[in-house]
Amino acid sequence: MQNSIIAVSPIGDIDQNIIESIREAISSAYGFGTVVLNAFDDITFAHNHTREQYHSTAILEKLEESIAAENVLKVIAITDKDLFIPILTYVFGEAQLGGKACILSLHRLMEGDRPAIICRVTKEAVHELGHTFSLRHCKEKQCVMGYSRGTQDVDRKGSKMCRYCTVLLNDELKKILF
Amino acid sequence: MSGTKILIVDDELIMRESLAGWLERDGHEVHKAASGEDALEMIKDTRYDILLVDIKMEGMSGLEVLEIIKEDDPDIAIVMITAYGSISTAIEAIKNGAREYLLKPFDPNELGVLIEKILRSQAQEQENLYLREEVKERTRFESMIGQSRPMQEIFHLIEDVAPTGSTTLITGETGTGKGLAAKAIHSQSDRCFGPFVSVNCGAIPEHLMESELFGYQKGAFTDAKENKKGRLELVHTGTLFLDEIGEISMRMQIDLLKVLEDKVFYRVGGTQPIEADFRVIAATNKDILEEVKKGVFREDLYYRLNVISLQMPTLRERKEDIPLLAELFLKRFANEINKPIDRIDRDAMDEMMLYEWPGNIRELENAIERAVVVCKTQKIMPQDLPIFSSDAVCTPLDMSLREMEKNHINEVLEANDWNISKTAGVLGIDRSTLYKKIKLFDLEKTD
Ligand SMILES: [Zn+2]
Ligand SMILES: [Zn+2]
Repeated sequence: MQNSIIAVSPIGDIDQNIIESIREAISSAYGFGTVVLNAFDDITFAHNHTREQYHSTAILEKLEESIAAENVLKVIAITDKDLFIPILTYVFGEAQLGGKACILSLHRLMEGDRPAIICRVTKEAVHELGHTFSLRHCKEKQCVMGYSRGTQDVDRKGSKMCRYCTVLLNDELKKILF
Repeated sequence: MSGTKILIVDDELIMRESLAGWLERDGHEVHKAASGEDALEMIKDTRYDILLVDIKMEGMSGLEVLEIIKEDDPDIAIVMITAYGSISTAIEAIKNGAREYLLKPFDPNELGVLIEKILRSQAQEQENLYLREEVKERTRFESMIGQSRPMQEIFHLIEDVAPTGSTTLITGETGTGKGLAAKAIHSQSDRCFGPFVSVNCGAIPEHLMESELFGYQKGAFTDAKENKKGRLELVHTGTLFLDEIGEISMRMQIDLLKVLEDKVFYRVGGTQPIEADFRVIAATNKDILEEVKKGVFREDLYYRLNVISLQMPTLRERKEDIPLLAELFLKRFANEINKPIDRIDRDAMDEMMLYEWPGNIRELENAIERAVVVCKTQKIMPQDLPIFSSDAVCTPLDMSLREMEKNHINEVLEANDWNISKTAGVLGIDRSTLYKKIKLFDLEKTD
């Protein structure tokens, strides 16, 4: 089948273990294979000097462009830099709703011990990709698509989708695959 | 009830877009206006739950937008967005009725918490309104009448449909009697000895819908002090009437579909499966296929519900039934308040036959009810009817239509300096009709 791979694109030097855990979580959540694809390492174009942060929307645009020729279904970029969108002080990540690209920042997720970090990061990766499958934030307490205010919220929620999000994801997959 | 509608008013494209993107991912329906002027245009067509308005804009300022909107709709929640350094203006905005202000760039949590807070208070208001409305609804008219051809066809269809036990979708404008048709189907079916349970999906606030339908188990949430049966349980062996089905949320659609497929359901917080033994009749005044196309109504649920479909005729398609219905309503209301009114004047009846009745039977019923109250003789005269008198107490629906017509005519009159021929020409009506309208709406030339 064409286009049935999700690309994981580390920006710069990202811990190999984290990338592998993210790939595993994505495969089990979405049922697609994954591939590591280094789209680019330099994101100075998105750097904002006054805020000392990176503009995630700009990165997403470049990301979408640079994988246009690749035969992948979705792409998730992973960065350790702090991200922002102009109206907000920071974001954990950003996704094109129903689009192709999303990005996750590890910057604010790195507190605590290693298993905790891995668990948190994989949840948020699945979450951001969920947006590219047209899923929005969910009110179910356990659902991975719930909006997390901080690391505590991320730790509290589950790593799976609730029954509603599962149905909506299947709707979307049907649209894509058939 | 469908999702939250939010309008962002900001002349800076990048701010507008980044805020819109975030709110969309958060699950809201977001609209954008690039100026205060645009925003005022947009709120004419759509009722928004929340407005996010930038204070400093080219042209009309955020404060001006706030003032104009508040005057029209004091209950609407408006949040001001401001840059650091203009807090004093923001505080002024709060004094003028803004709900809150946010300093940009703002913390995502601050935005999230604020929106949640506003939505929760709106949900509370909705809940109160719902509890009041429910009491009112029970007193409405009880049977289906009509000698017109479209109604005869409906009666035949109901006879055919009733014994099949199939899920049925009734479509038709508001006030055409979809609920009565559902009841008629129920009473002619094998389930007639079971209960008929009606759920107005448009009136029940979204956060109450799940427990209303499914019930809950003690301890399922903080307020669940005892077990409670939902309507799906109460309707056991009977007919469940889901009115305004087009209004239910995506989540509820998913739940409902699952019940119809599995034939079992669970109370909220319950683990015991409960058998779903009822017939479903759904009704809507929306073009539900259009909703399916837009992706807001599930196609699979639509086909589950639309096994048999029934289209209710409008009152304008069955005008010959108006005298019959009017007499019947007259008898009932006159009886209720003990007034010796027994006839409808011929002119009054003629006017009723000419009127288009956008609110259908319900509007006719309201019109007669009011006429009976204001009538001073033994017969209903044209001036007793709200459609033809200017100080009408009428339903919100015909109120807004009337208001629109009145304002429009007034504007055209003013634009043409009250030249009757010119105005009539612009409006596409003859001069005598225009005179009638001027009298009807009590319009006067302003100097
Ligand atoms: Zn999200
Ligand atoms: Zn969910």
